[in-house]
Amino acid sequence: MSATVEIRGDALRSALWRPLNGFSSRYLLALAVTFLVGAWGLGCWGYQIVRGIGVAGIRRPTMWGFYLVNFVFWIGISHAGTLISAILRLTDAGWRKPVTRAAEAITVFALMIGAMFPIIHLGRPWIFYWLFPYPNSRLLWPNFRSPLLWDVTAISTYFSGGVIYLYLPLIPDLAELAQHATGWRRRLYKLLSLGWTGSDRQWHALERAMKLMAGTILAVAVSVHTVVAWDFAMAVAPMWHSTIYGPYFVAGAIFSGIAALVVAMSVIRRALHLEAYLLPVHFENLGKLLLLMSLLWVYFTVAENLTTWYGNGPAEMSVFGERVRGRYAPFFWFMVFCNFVLPFVLLSVKRLRSVTTITISGVAVLIGMWVERFMIVLPSLSRPHLPAATGFYAPTWVEISITASTFAAMIMFYLIFCKLFPIIAIWEYKHVSHG
Amino acid sequence: MEHRWGMAIDLDRCTGCEACVVACHAENNLPLSDPDQAEKGRAFHWIRVDRYYEGEFPDIRVKYMPVLCQQCDEAPCEPVCPVYATYHNAEGLNVQVYNRCVGTRYCANNCPYSVRFFNWFEPEWPAPLPLQHNPDVAVRPSGVMEKCTFCIQRIQRVKRDAQAENRHVGDGDVQPACVQSCPAEAMTFGDLNDPESKVSRLAGSGRATRLLEDLGTKPKVFYLQRGK
Amino acid sequence: MYLTADFADADSVARAITALRPQGFHADHLEVFSTEPVEIPGGLLDRPSHMSLAAVASASTFFVLAFLFVRYAQYDYPLITGGMPLFSWWADGVIFYEFTMFGSITATFVMFLIESGLSKRRAPAPVLQAGRILLRISCQAGQAAVVTDSLRQAGAASVTELERT
Repeated sequence: MSATVEIRGDALRSALWRPLNGFSSRYLLALAVTFLVGAWGLGCWGYQIVRGIGVAGIRRPTMWGFYLVNFVFWIGISHAGTLISAILRLTDAGWRKPVTRAAEAITVFALMIGAMFPIIHLGRPWIFYWLFPYPNSRLLWPNFRSPLLWDVTAISTYFSGGVIYLYLPLIPDLAELAQHATGWRRRLYKLLSLGWTGSDRQWHALERAMKLMAGTILAVAVSVHTVVAWDFAMAVAPMWHSTIYGPYFVAGAIFSGIAALVVAMSVIRRALHLEAYLLPVHFENLGKLLLLMSLLWVYFTVAENLTTWYGNGPAEMSVFGERVRGRYAPFFWFMVFCNFVLPFVLLSVKRLRSVTTITISGVAVLIGMWVERFMIVLPSLSRPHLPAATGFYAPTWVEISITASTFAAMIMFYLIFCKLFPIIAIWEYKHVSHG
Repeated sequence: MEHRWGMAIDLDRCTGCEACVVACHAENNLPLSDPDQAEKGRAFHWIRVDRYYEGEFPDIRVKYMPVLCQQCDEAPCEPVCPVYATYHNAEGLNVQVYNRCVGTRYCANNCPYSVRFFNWFEPEWPAPLPLQHNPDVAVRPSGVMEKCTFCIQRIQRVKRDAQAENRHVGDGDVQPACVQSCPAEAMTFGDLNDPESKVSRLAGSGRATRLLEDLGTKPKVFYLQRGK
Repeated sequence: MYLTADFADADSVARAITALRPQGFHADHLEVFSTEPVEIPGGLLDRPSHMSLAAVASASTFFVLAFLFVRYAQYDYPLITGGMPLFSWWADGVIFYEFTMFGSITATFVMFLIESGLSKRRAPAPVLQAGRILLRISCQAGQAAVVTDSLRQAGAASVTELERT
């Protein structure tokens, strides 16, 4: 590969441009493994399409399983970028600057992965495009009253916003890279930088656009996960039909998004040797936010479960019993441990807070939040209104493979991103004086 | 006036023999499943007989309840389908359009009666069962949702015959397979818009109740029982 | 012709701009180039922007279009589901909201391309240097000497003619 970026200039640029050049053996190994796992997942999906969706573990009455869990989980992760970039940009929090691009990248890739699942879980995925309104010979339109259509609209809007939100602040860095790169890199960066010259006109337009986008993307992000929540809340299934789901999911999404960002940053910091730029203070601040969201999450969980228990509706109580005392109890309490107990201890005790423990909390929260999505989808379906239809779900190797492959795909997209673009926004970083 | 199809099931007459289940299988080309698949929740029974046991031996009381699609007037399954594969037709039936279904299965999750069934694979019948298929009923492909249709093919045939013979559809002319085959004559089917029809009179009787009525689904299957 | 002046900080740029104003140079003739956004004190180089207005206008337009389309589609092939009305604000409100936001996003991106000037061909730009702020002046050949003088007095480290590349 003859395309390189010439390292010159200050320490910041050399630190951030060095990873763009060459391929270390660790990088190639990681890329190969994630690619293979991702390809295996794609193969499993192909097998599922050919053989029939019955190769997955879903059944009556649990007609939704791992795929929906993954869908909600990944859309939740995509809220990383929104929180860090948008909210902190709007509140003028300077510490966010080294972290924004990593967060925005997570948003775009998580959305790409999450948006695949509504197609993967279909019985006839080859006609998924019937959900889009287009003139057709059947003279039919899709049903706009369906929460699934709301999903399609919301996620499409969020994705387009997320891509623009990632791309706009990338332009100045790309322009600078184009000057110092060779080969195909130079052509790529030149093309993507749209001829950016760094004039004040361009800077003003960029800053105005980012401010507008921050507000808009925040509004969209809140609506996206609310709409995903309403896939469940609009149903009559016991314990799904809960008014708290909208805010609950948004809070959970931001929670899991921060956790994903913490983990991603921790890996980037180590792998790309950016210890001088991703400082412990960044992890401290993210850790405090993680603690805050953990408390918010536990508040919502208590509110939901208390209201259900106190209300004592027969259908709801059978689901509640299954969740807290029955078959799903181990998952429930494990989820509480991962989402609340562990992060609370590690993050609220100042002496215990360190980059390592904050990362551990992030990993725990990611696992806990995946289990939480599982606990939302499955118990309510297992115990429907008519008890005679009770049934329990068990995933098959197909679903497990596809789930694992999405994590591999996420890592792979991130690896490729880090090889093409600097993971910290150089022009924004310079703006902040670090003592 | 349009027909409005409804059904009355007399729980005091039902013996739980499941002749209705077998008849439905035969009439509607239901896919077969083996014990393994049934245990995995993959069996198809558009009408099923739920058994509820009360008390301890020797004072056990068993209630048999044939449960089929209630053809709810305000069906929760209908608005959630993103492609209009299920909607309410003019005769009050909740129709399932097999061609249109993309298989999101949201409707099945939203049915409080759990009467919807999904084709997880291409259906198979060991020979010579395919010879027994009803030509009036489509065979559903993999990835498509299905459920009781109140034997819409029989409704259509009776209406066509009545129109050809220039008469109205009489009460009792339309007999879905389950209603036709019940040896205890526990099931009645007819036009709820006709106040003289047997089903209307039964539905208006003091013994008539509906399943999960408080969910507001407005089901059109009336269960007759003397007390609870 | 284009002259490029090299400054160390925003204050000297401001001085230069103030000095050039009586000579007849205003915002249209001037452009500042830097590797990071620079705030010229006194708002001397503020340029009018219609981005917010465009975003709001676009959002409103998309809202109306979405409303009209959904209403048309629901009545075009009317299918009753769950006893719900064919068209209702409750059931379709989310769709309208998302389209409104999408309108805002589209307008923001388009206006960014327009207002930054990236969408059209531009005059030649100086090569950026990290840490320096460059001021480009568009002037006649005869004014070059006077302009260079004012720039040096304001604190320019160097004043060069910009080559047309």
